[in-house]
Amino acid sequence: MGLLDKLSSLFRLKKREVKVLVVGLNNSGKSTVLNHLKSDDDKITVEPTVGLNVEKFKHNNVGFTALDMSGQVRYREVWEHYYSDCEGIIFVIDSSDRLRLAVVQEELELLLQHPDTVGKRLPILFFANKMDARDALSSVKIASALNLHRIINKPWHICASNAVKGEGLDEGIEWLTQQICENIRKE
Amino acid sequence: MAFKRDKKEEEDGGGNIFLNLEKTSVLQEARTFNETPVNPRKCTIILSKILYLINQGEQLGTTEATETFFAMTKLFQSRDVILRRMVYLGIKELSSLAEDVIIVTSSLTKDMTGKEDLYRAAAIRALCSITDGSMLQAIERYMKQAIVDRNAAVSSAALVSSLHMTRIAGDVVKRWVNEAQEALISDNVMVQYHALGVLYHIRKSDRLAVTKLVTKLTRSPLKSPFAVCLLIRIVCKLLEEEGDVALSESPLFDFVEKCLRHKSETVIYEAAHAVVNLRRTTPRELAPAVSVLQLFCSSPKPALRFAAVRTLNKVAMSHPAAVTACNLDLENLISDSNRSIATLAITTLLKTGAESSVDRLMKQISTFVSEISDEFKVVVVQAIRALCLKFPRKHGVLMNFLSAMLRDEGGLEYKASIADTIISIIEENPDAKETGLAHLCEFIEDCEHTSLAVRILHLLGKEGPRTKQPSRYIRFIYNRVILESAVVRCAAVAAMAQFGASCPDLLPNILVLLARCQMDCDDETRDRATFYYHILSGDQPQFIYHYIVDHLQVSIPSLERALTQYVANPTPEQFDISTVPVSAPEPTNVPEKGHGTVDIANPVAVQPETPAKAAESYAVKLASIPELAPLPGSLFRSSDPVQLTESETEYVVKCIKHCFSDHLILQFNILNTLSDTLLESIGVTLEEPEGYEILKEVACPKLSCGETGSVYVLLKFPEDLSLSVSTFGATLKFVVKDCDPTTGEPDTDEGYHDTYMLEDLDVLLSDQVVRVMKGNWGAAWEQAEGESFFELEDTYVLTSVTSLEQAIQNIVVFLGMQPAERTDRLPQGKSAHTLLLAGMFRGGHDVLVRAKLALAEGVTMQITVRAPSQEIAELITSALG
Ligand SMILES: Nc1nc2c(ncn2[C@@H]2O[C@H](COP(=O)(O)OP(=O)(O)OP(=O)(O)O)[C@@H](O)[C@H]2O)c(=O)[nH]1
Ligand SMILES: [Mg+2]
Repeated sequence: MGLLDKLSSLFRLKKREVKVLVVGLNNSGKSTVLNHLKSDDDKITVEPTVGLNVEKFKHNNVGFTALDMSGQVRYREVWEHYYSDCEGIIFVIDSSDRLRLAVVQEELELLLQHPDTVGKRLPILFFANKMDARDALSSVKIASALNLHRIINKPWHICASNAVKGEGLDEGIEWLTQQICENIRKE
Repeated sequence: MAFKRDKKEEEDGGGNIFLNLEKTSVLQEARTFNETPVNPRKCTIILSKILYLINQGEQLGTTEATETFFAMTKLFQSRDVILRRMVYLGIKELSSLAEDVIIVTSSLTKDMTGKEDLYRAAAIRALCSITDGSMLQAIERYMKQAIVDRNAAVSSAALVSSLHMTRIAGDVVKRWVNEAQEALISDNVMVQYHALGVLYHIRKSDRLAVTKLVTKLTRSPLKSPFAVCLLIRIVCKLLEEEGDVALSESPLFDFVEKCLRHKSETVIYEAAHAVVNLRRTTPRELAPAVSVLQLFCSSPKPALRFAAVRTLNKVAMSHPAAVTACNLDLENLISDSNRSIATLAITTLLKTGAESSVDRLMKQISTFVSEISDEFKVVVVQAIRALCLKFPRKHGVLMNFLSAMLRDEGGLEYKASIADTIISIIEENPDAKETGLAHLCEFIEDCEHTSLAVRILHLLGKEGPRTKQPSRYIRFIYNRVILESAVVRCAAVAAMAQFGASCPDLLPNILVLLARCQMDCDDETRDRATFYYHILSGDQPQFIYHYIVDHLQVSIPSLERALTQYVANPTPEQFDISTVPVSAPEPTNVPEKGHGTVDIANPVAVQPETPAKAAESYAVKLASIPELAPLPGSLFRSSDPVQLTESETEYVVKCIKHCFSDHLILQFNILNTLSDTLLESIGVTLEEPEGYEILKEVACPKLSCGETGSVYVLLKFPEDLSLSVSTFGATLKFVVKDCDPTTGEPDTDEGYHDTYMLEDLDVLLSDQVVRVMKGNWGAAWEQAEGESFFELEDTYVLTSVTSLEQAIQNIVVFLGMQPAERTDRLPQGKSAHTLLLAGMFRGGHDVLVRAKLALAEGVTMQITVRAPSQEIAELITSALG
């Protein structure tokens, strides 16, 4: 904590809003992740998202604005409209959905090759979500299935999570905060 | 209030900051929405500009709108309340222009169900504007909750939005009836009013359910005066449908009468307004309502005085005696400081007053006519028009007044209404013709409205040649050629040609003028002048008739479509104008509107269509039915819908007869009113009479309750024309499945066959004829003498009619032809009359009829028909036999 507090005051992050984009296939748990991160009186019952939803939460004194995108097929092409003005991406994967891992790979490829992301050092945080499910793949297996190691011009990180209980979320968000701060310092 | 402030601002020179906005630069600015962090102040102003532009009628393309819409979605990041509410407005405005608008669904549902009350109502309205039928299911639960929400604004917003949604998903909204019922007992005046609106709309097509609703509500008084007003309107609609029972017997009317003693003025006025407008109102019911209005006339509140005098003005024609009772009060209102009230008071007095008071009242109006707005000047003009019909002898005074008004400042609508009035006076009253034309000539000397000048020139061309001294008009017309814009010059050239065609002694002069016009710098003017010059100077008199005297009869929208099609599919053949349907002139005796019709807050209002437009939309509709393609030529005429069932039966069937040159398409519109049945494979069995041949039938696959579907039958007309007027037996056949009235799902897969007897369907002569307006019937009649025309003459005694008026009416209806030269109007006190008619028989055959009528025991009629074939002429003479 102490370190982060220092960091944020150092780069005047206290007053700064950080904007992240949350993507991933439908039913992967994006809205559930955000719901857990929100303060208690903002919590809602999660339903499939139609289009997009804007959520706000605080993590260690940094204010996050998260665009929770819908993962349904017909809305996936909407994601790209929001690449240009975000500072980080959270990519949520349902680790028990082996069947659609190929679809995940395809969507990830589109994201990485989009003109609005290509040249940028956008940090990408992968949540290998639903780790509690019985047939869940480990985060290592997912990283290799998606061939994440080829991503060299962007910092990335993968953690296993359980969004319903909130396990693994803090670790991921802390990593993301740090990456975004670093980016700002370099500017 | 708002109006006053605007005016003040103008005086301050503050002006409107949005005045000189430019679309592209505003849309450029909208990129600011993408910036982080959002600047609420700046974005709010930009959004206002966008809304302003859209509301000024600026068109946004789909791409522009979609881009702006997406940029706007980014503003959801900001928690600024004002900005968020602007975003809702933006969503509503762009929802019909942009693509993929449903991507804000989740954002809006969140706001709609959230804690911030300032968001909720507006979010509901925005949400409903982006929702389509398929998405409605997803938000249904939220809508139901919102309808019964404790916050009145939320509940009202949900109710009103539901009403709008019935347009896209009526059956989903029907399922919210319980929630609407609950909202009806709300303490809030608006919520109760809106709830009643929704409930009524849901049950509208089910008369029994409406009656139940109304009976219940008329017993337990509603709190909200607005709801009571709506209830009065619903009750009146029921009363109008009730048939011919005396109003005093009806318990429903009892309710309306009680409302005359309600404690809210709004309700009292609504009730009085309702009573005077009911069709069956007699003096007995009228009296209390009029006394209420009379009281309002002396109210200190201008709104009440205005409402009262406006209503009295409207009913002055239908119940003059009752309104006369208020004459004293109306006289007092003449000096009212509110000029609108004064105008209405005077025009009401004019409508009911005696001939002797006309001069006095007209003088009074002229003292302040310059102070009232155009809208009320139009009211004055209408009153004058009515007066002219009532007191033809007064046309001198009135016409002078009108021409003075013409010279004053005023907008197009006002000037057009004056010109219309003068024109109608000219048509009604031959004595007024020359003075009227003179006033109009003077007016076009200095007329800034191109469209009016063109109309008047057209009228001069039509009427001028048949006056005593046609030459006096030429100067006025030719002046236009020298002084005006190209459009007016064209019209002037055309008008001159009319004189050349009809007045041989003027022809040489006209030819000189037309020759000069051939030097005009405008292409169209020059072309017309050249065209007319050559026709008039040529040696083929029948051309003069066909191309100048007789005008184009085709329907303009159909011509446009035919030409577009022709250009789109190039063929070596020439364009054939005879394939374009002829347009029937608009019926002249339209009964005065706005009286007796009860329009209940209906979000889906229907505009009455002109005959040409209606025919064109039928043509497009028929062409879109694949089973009927290719259509047998172009549509010639569509009849009005004919009812083949009683109005309150299980199935309501109407038939429209579409006539082609050798074929007939019968379109049966079927409405299933049974809430617990589903109909499938619906067809109509026809017993076709001799000579007719059924070529094709198109069944309707399925009809659930409240739906209307169509069955089509294509027939060939008999070769023998005399068989074409005939009667068809018709039976509806279908498969019935019972179903659950709440879900509309069938209970079983098995249905059973059933039939339903319809009333006989007549195909008449008038179904095969369109009305044609002949500007100069006499010329057409002479023209039809030489050319391959047949003439047939016959004499009948019409025993069933007792007056000439009746005879004229019957003949016009039977033959379906257009009366020419106003011969359908009978001069007073005549015992003999000649009716002149023109029409076109299917296949494009011109038909002219002259009927000489004489009143003896019954009416004796000598009918002469000129038609291009013997058979057609026989068919027409026999139709009256
Ligand atoms: N067992 C388990 N279930 C989860 C977990 N995270 C989310 N879920 C469930 O997965 C379902 C889908 O979650 P959402 O958050 O709506 O998924 P989403 O990615 O937002 O879906 P879209 O909005 O349609 O794109 C919900 O029923 C969640 O309760 C998890 O870690 N473990
Ligand atoms: Mg979601």
